[in-house]
Amino acid sequence: MSKLRDAVNKVDLKRFRFWFQLAAFVLFVYGGYLAINLGNSLPMFSCGYLRDGRAGVCYLLPLQHQLARPWPQLFSYAGVAVLTGFGIFALWFIVLNKGWCGFVCPLGTLQDWLTSLRQKLGIRQSGYTHEQFRRLTWIKYVLLALLLLIPLGIGGGLWSHEVGAPFCQICPGRMVLPLFVGDFSQWTIDFSTPGKIVLTALGMGITGLFIVGSFVKKRFFCFFCPMSALHYLLSKPALLRLRKDGSKCTRCGDCYTACDMEIREIADDVTRKEIMTDDCTLCLKCVAACPEKGALKVDFANITFFESTEEGFIKRMNKGIRK
Amino acid sequence: MSEIREVPLKPAFNQSRQAREAEVMLNHIVDDFIDNPAAMSYFYDLFRHAFIEGQPRDREGPGIGTTCIQVPEELIYAAGGTPVRLCNGAYHYDQVGADFMPAKSCSLVKATLGRLHSEKAVPDVGKLELIVNPTTCDQKKKAAQMMEGMGYQVYDLDLPSAKDNEAAREYWRRVVKQLAARLQKVTGKKLTRQRLREAMAKTSRAQAAFRTLHNFRRKAPSLILGKDVFLVTNAYFFDDIERWSAAVEALNAELAQREAEAFSAVQKKAPRIVFTGSPPIFPNIKLPLLIEEAGGVVVADETCSANRMLYDMTAVDEWLVSHMIESIADKYLKPCTCPIFTRNDDRIRRLLDLVSTFNADGVVYQSFAGCQVYEMEQRSVAEALNKAGIPMLYIETDYSPDDMGQLSTRVEAFLESIKTRKRQARA
Repeated sequence: MSKLRDAVNKVDLKRFRFWFQLAAFVLFVYGGYLAINLGNSLPMFSCGYLRDGRAGVCYLLPLQHQLARPWPQLFSYAGVAVLTGFGIFALWFIVLNKGWCGFVCPLGTLQDWLTSLRQKLGIRQSGYTHEQFRRLTWIKYVLLALLLLIPLGIGGGLWSHEVGAPFCQICPGRMVLPLFVGDFSQWTIDFSTPGKIVLTALGMGITGLFIVGSFVKKRFFCFFCPMSALHYLLSKPALLRLRKDGSKCTRCGDCYTACDMEIREIADDVTRKEIMTDDCTLCLKCVAACPEKGALKVDFANITFFESTEEGFIKRMNKGIRK
Repeated sequence: MSEIREVPLKPAFNQSRQAREAEVMLNHIVDDFIDNPAAMSYFYDLFRHAFIEGQPRDREGPGIGTTCIQVPEELIYAAGGTPVRLCNGAYHYDQVGADFMPAKSCSLVKATLGRLHSEKAVPDVGKLELIVNPTTCDQKKKAAQMMEGMGYQVYDLDLPSAKDNEAAREYWRRVVKQLAARLQKVTGKKLTRQRLREAMAKTSRAQAAFRTLHNFRRKAPSLILGKDVFLVTNAYFFDDIERWSAAVEALNAELAQREAEAFSAVQKKAPRIVFTGSPPIFPNIKLPLLIEEAGGVVVADETCSANRMLYDMTAVDEWLVSHMIESIADKYLKPCTCPIFTRNDDRIRRLLDLVSTFNADGVVYQSFAGCQVYEMEQRSVAEALNKAGIPMLYIETDYSPDDMGQLSTRVEAFLESIKTRKRQARA
């Protein structure tokens, strides 16, 4: 048992994540062709626009459709469907917590690949200043509020159906992911109504930003992702948890160096035990980059299965040095 | 004054004052104890050759002097130079350096200046192309210009005095990048990704060896005495890094064997001490030596001549030169527990952690008279330790051997009180 634990703690997380993410990407982008269907309430961007290829649908798509029902329906029998959908979403989510972002989400994986490409080209990464970070971190909550309120407004007759599923219209997943099944049909601007023109044009712009942004900055999009905001609001009972023992932390900042999301608290906060913040993607790179035994650890249902160790740190860093 | 003390040219080096001072200390370290690890003889010989016989240390590339732990050695190695830590522990040089500094200043700074001012100084590290002087305490800051006055090239490495804010991190990263540029000019070699990687590998090997040694000291009863470990880490100041790492690895192998044989380097009930404060630097290993001669054992330390210098390791996410330098810069600033920073929470947390993870019974806090920052932090550290129920002995001293008798009485009383405490706790 202790040997197994040792082996896990010394894992080459980079390689493990690469293969795990690749497998998840293949599953959720092409799984549909093998008749895999994991339902409509997945807590990550298994994009509905993948049509036949998808092995399940991102919860944000059905959610926006459901909320756009006329209010009399929504607040009576259709409400049940909304609640069941949400319940299933929450159950999926609780298992992996934000691990869905760091390990499963195809759009997240795609950004990691763009990062790898940049590294191979020897181009340095960009980041935000502390000030920019603080100002931008709210955007995901605004997007979440909008993606809930706009459909509700449609249902209430405040505006028309042309702005249905508004987030999907501007989400880069809609345009980028179908490319992997040879579908270029999303790369158009819909001129049918003014609302659609605005949304699809915005979507086009955001997709461009997504590609450029995640090339220069690690996990560029995740910082603004409303799914990530929704995750955070539900994360209290989640089973997979990132924990920190502040008494063992030297605040050396090694974890911050590794963090794709530039989360400063991971290094600087020595009081909070539950250290996962709203921007975290639970990629666990911080745990792999921490040289202090037990300072950072990953628990599943309160059982620690991966923690920071000196030996693991040295092994992983030496690998980088020798390359 | 200094003319009188000038080393006579004719007699052998081992008859000079600094050689005798080193010899007395080394003899105590070696001969006062039985069961010294065999692998320690590398270090005993190293100090004998360097300090007593005055043999020059060979090295590769231009010598770059450093006066504090915040100078990134990886950059020096990557640029093709060899770092030499100039902080000095000799009473003889302390007296020479007294000409430069006010009477009530720290022995370490005076001795460092005194050594730089002396001819045929030990350890003989050859010509220094540049001295990198981090702006840590006021005395070190002001020492820069005096070194320049002695004819050295000095580079002020502007260390922020508050490390908690982002502005400090960003500023320090810039400072370190500028240092990298300067080092390349001095050595004439370009700092490439490959060279930086190799340099980091050197440091990383040394740190891994140090950490293994550090971890062996958790064992109770102890496998090795603190006076030996201080000698080991002191050797890091001027020894060749690869040879040093190999020697520490050999020592670790011996300690592993000692552990397997359930060997004990001290009495079972020997009080376990964490040493903090002003750094013991050879030949001034006075206080750790007194502790261990009185039957205690120094199991860990929080000083810049040992733990603080070698413990914290660098993580890199993207192996590109700019990011590597940033990671290295962070390592030298963020975890540093130097008292020159505005706040000392990290230092207190590290001390508490060391005491609990090394099963220590008490803390000895050394402060060199005139080292204001350590003197000023004494109160807050004492309060924090007191709150945690950890006894602490605060000792203000300097490089002079005059107070040895008085100190040994205080140390013995402290150790005795710890033993009584433990007895009472058991009863």
